[in-house]
Amino acid sequence: MSVQQATLQSLKAGRRALWRQRLAENWRVFRGNLLGKIGLSLLVMFGLMAGLSYIPPLIDPMYHPMTGVDPLVVKSTGPSLTHWLGTDFMGRDILSQLLAGARVAFMVGVSAAFMSVVLGTAVGMTAGYLGKTTDTLLMRLADMIMVLPTLLVVLMLAALFGQLSIWMIVLMIALFRWPGVSRVIRAQTLSLKQRPFIDAARVAGASHTRIIFRHIMPNVLPLAFLYMTFRVTSAIVIEAGLAFLGFGDPGTVSWGMMLQWVWKTGHMFTAPYWLLPPGICISLITLSFYMLGRAMDEVLDPRLRDETQAG
Amino acid sequence: MSQSHKDILKLEGVSKFYRTRGNRYRRGGGTVVALSRVNLSLRPGEIFGLVGESGSGKTTAGRLVVRLEEPDEGRITLDGVDITHLKGGGLRDYRRKVQMVFQDPYQSLNPQMTIADAVAEPLITNKVGDPADRLERVLGVLDTAGLSPAEDFIYRFPHQLSGGQRQRVAIARAIVLEPSLLVADEPTSMLDASYSAQIFEILQGVRDQMGATIIFITHSMAAARYLCDRIAVIYHGHLVEQGPAEAVINSPSHPYTKALIDATPKFGRCEGVPTYGTYLPAPRPAGEQAGCPFFQRCALAERLLCSATYPEWRQVAGEQVCLCHFAAEGGQSPPPPEECRLGG
Amino acid sequence: MALLKVENLSIGYRTAGGMLKAVDGVNLSLEEGRSLGLVGESGCGKTTIGMALMGLLPPNGSITGGRIVLDGVEISALDEEELRKVRWSQVAMIFQAAMNALNPVIRVSAQMTEAIRTHRPDMDEQAIMQRVEGLFNLVGLPLERLHDFPHQYSGGMKQRAIIAMALALNPKLIIADEPTTALDVIVQDQILKETKVLQEQFDIGIIFISHDISIVAEVCHDIGVMYAGQLVEAGPAQEVFFNSKHPYTRALVGSFPTLAGPKSKLTPIPGEPPNLIGAIPGCRFCDRCPKDTASCKLEPPKWQEINERHWVLCDHC
Ligand SMILES: Nc1ncnc2c1ncn2[C@@H]1O[C@H](COP(=O)(O)OP(=O)(O)O)[C@@H](O)[C@H]1O
Ligand SMILES: Nc1ncnc2c1ncn2[C@@H]1O[C@H](COP(=O)(O)OP(=O)(O)O)[C@@H](O)[C@H]1O
Ligand SMILES: [Mg+2]
Ligand SMILES: [Mg+2]
Repeated sequence: MSVQQATLQSLKAGRRALWRQRLAENWRVFRGNLLGKIGLSLLVMFGLMAGLSYIPPLIDPMYHPMTGVDPLVVKSTGPSLTHWLGTDFMGRDILSQLLAGARVAFMVGVSAAFMSVVLGTAVGMTAGYLGKTTDTLLMRLADMIMVLPTLLVVLMLAALFGQLSIWMIVLMIALFRWPGVSRVIRAQTLSLKQRPFIDAARVAGASHTRIIFRHIMPNVLPLAFLYMTFRVTSAIVIEAGLAFLGFGDPGTVSWGMMLQWVWKTGHMFTAPYWLLPPGICISLITLSFYMLGRAMDEVLDPRLRDETQAG
Repeated sequence: MSQSHKDILKLEGVSKFYRTRGNRYRRGGGTVVALSRVNLSLRPGEIFGLVGESGSGKTTAGRLVVRLEEPDEGRITLDGVDITHLKGGGLRDYRRKVQMVFQDPYQSLNPQMTIADAVAEPLITNKVGDPADRLERVLGVLDTAGLSPAEDFIYRFPHQLSGGQRQRVAIARAIVLEPSLLVADEPTSMLDASYSAQIFEILQGVRDQMGATIIFITHSMAAARYLCDRIAVIYHGHLVEQGPAEAVINSPSHPYTKALIDATPKFGRCEGVPTYGTYLPAPRPAGEQAGCPFFQRCALAERLLCSATYPEWRQVAGEQVCLCHFAAEGGQSPPPPEECRLGG
Repeated sequence: MALLKVENLSIGYRTAGGMLKAVDGVNLSLEEGRSLGLVGESGCGKTTIGMALMGLLPPNGSITGGRIVLDGVEISALDEEELRKVRWSQVAMIFQAAMNALNPVIRVSAQMTEAIRTHRPDMDEQAIMQRVEGLFNLVGLPLERLHDFPHQYSGGMKQRAIIAMALALNPKLIIADEPTTALDVIVQDQILKETKVLQEQFDIGIIFISHDISIVAEVCHDIGVMYAGQLVEAGPAQEVFFNSKHPYTRALVGSFPTLAGPKSKLTPIPGEPPNLIGAIPGCRFCDRCPKDTASCKLEPPKWQEINERHWVLCDHC
């Protein structure tokens, strides 16, 4: 028995080594990709910003991005030693706001993208695997939601229900952005379902549940993951748009919110130190997620890792 | 086709149709007859060859036997039990006894699953043993399939193996439950010629050591001769000749069987070797639907008879039977000279 | 003078793991109107040699040594512009899985005339059409199918169309890379026979690549057996087949079943070919060889002459 146990142990160790090797291989391909490297560096930078956002309020309460007002400042001022990027119209520190905005962007982007991708993957796999009426119904639903202009609908909802909290906004984005993912995942599931290894699993006695979770899901997850990086981009843009139009969560400082303040207080053309940082950050973070996605595309490209035929 | 008492698997009048939808190029839809009223019976412990060109319905027959597909007509029985329309638990129990090796090893293994998990899958789905037992069986069966040391393979993914190794993994997975019947669908056709000998040896081992009955599907007469006890030749979904492997190959009776033998690569000093010449290079216009399935390509066909009348099974010699109006005229060909090799 | 001479050819691919020596010191020579079969397991470098002869190596591949001389012209020294002139008009290639190379949305006739037109701007439309029809007759395709789309053809017909295209400009050399691997037995047999007839009729040199020695032996005058990037045995087909010397050739010959004669046991080749990245000091086959000796692992084997035209790369044969 102990011999068996030892083999089992070594099997587990071997499996861990295998995954490490796999990760290493993916990392190697990723590192060879310039876009990916740029994207990742930018994201690391934004990550640092988000992490650093907790520090200014600790230094002095006047650096609190929402409520901290510098008592010496009564209007928007340019960069100075106490306020590196200047202050807004009521004396709040722009740098602290920018850092807090990074945190919100990650939160909104990643959680909305995660939710929409989970939903899209679940729906896509169900539709693709079950087919027939289920497929038709789910895909018609997806079509209906897909043609709705997300921003407009969320705007209308916001107008109807008053101010939306940031989590409501995240939820809305997730609920409106899954159909695209589900279409892609469904197509992938359909083609996987035809692959001989699914037949082989059936002959091996696998149940439908096992086929879905053990055979189809691992093969669609890389794609779902890829879509997540693209969805992050769109979630961030939608949130920024909402906030800029004045329908953001008034209790959070996001970059879109900052832009809205610039606009509403009439500093659009007079305070570049206030207008540019959030604008540039929004562009850069969406760009970096996009570049990351493109790099992942290459990492996950089956042609680069998969087999060549005999002969 | 008597001795039903000792047959393990029986196909009685089995037909399978596929409905095809029309598309941009092919207007309307149609029905493809993949198998037409096929009768087969397998004896325990034999290797039975199903030989024919691609598209002749060999894979369909295999898929029907493992019940990946349900027949549209006819009956399939295993050990006398009707399995034609099994479902659910009954089907799972059936598949403990009947397994399949697929044609393309590049496609029949899940790219995201390690070899250990792939081979253990039938054990897991059938709740056999605990993880330690299963691992031991996986190692043992990989060894049987010629992958040794087995420990080196279980941690790998399919794309890290060569085609020949993958096919051996697929065989290991098919025999891990020690099935009584194994369908091997052209297991060597996607592999280098040099791998086939290994695969043949493993299949023989499966028969000899586990006592499994094997349906060996192939397009190569030479492979069928090497491996099989009995063979059936299939053309466009119709069985056309059946019998002991040696008899069918040495004295083929059906014109299509003869054509397959003619097409086998020859080399060396083969100038004098006769050919049967039973295959028309260009098809003749189709006859009536009821006619002989080989009519369009048969060089020996008689217009009136063969285009209109479906032939009957005739006994040629001993157990060799043939679906041809002129079956009795099949003759033995003289063996080729020493310096000529036929094979491949 | 030989139509084709390949001298000491080495080809490498740059890969993430390092330089992959796909072809290592290969010598070949082919007389006009003769056919040479290259056999070996997949991955041994057959396609790579074919591509090099066409000057079509992928971007990460390059000739690292030796030269290729076709009809007195050193192909390996030509630039892309000059190569384009040689390609198709002097050397034509039937690619592996070529049947899928036909463009599915263009009629076969249009694809063939286009191919001729680009290389022979001097020919007028009528002459080109006549040529295409002539080619169709030559390869046994019915003329009434000339204007079909490729998907309306069977696999065998597509392969015939590809052969016709290869013949279109009267090349002196045709490289056929696994031309029948995807085909049915009967169709394969027809195509092989036809290839042989055409070759004799037009005195074309053919390099026939396959992993199946039985097919090569049926069609070719000479056989070169490749293993892990090297040529290991070469000679007239009959010699190489019936009087094989190299253990790998013997294993290949003994690894497929026959239709007649005693049912002798097949000889499987154990193991897998070596990794071609990095240096291999001794004989490349020694891990799988029944004759393996201590010296095999250390010393590279030398060419031994069996007779004037039959050579083997093995010290113990
Ligand atoms: N799922 C399917 N749908 C439609 N036609 C099919 C399907 N599977 C097989 N066929 C058709 O049935 C015939 C027999 O196919 P198959 O059993 O795969 O032949 P083989 O294995 O002998 O090559 C072919 O004409 C093929 O096109
Ligand atoms: N574009 C490429 N990049 C890197 N390695 C390659 C490339 N093409 C082929 N190879 C490698 O070169 C070797 C020879 O390949 P190939 O010439 O295709 O062999 P064959 O045609 O005999 O199967 C193989 O090991 C293969 O993996
Ligand atoms: Mg098949
Ligand atoms: Mg090749």
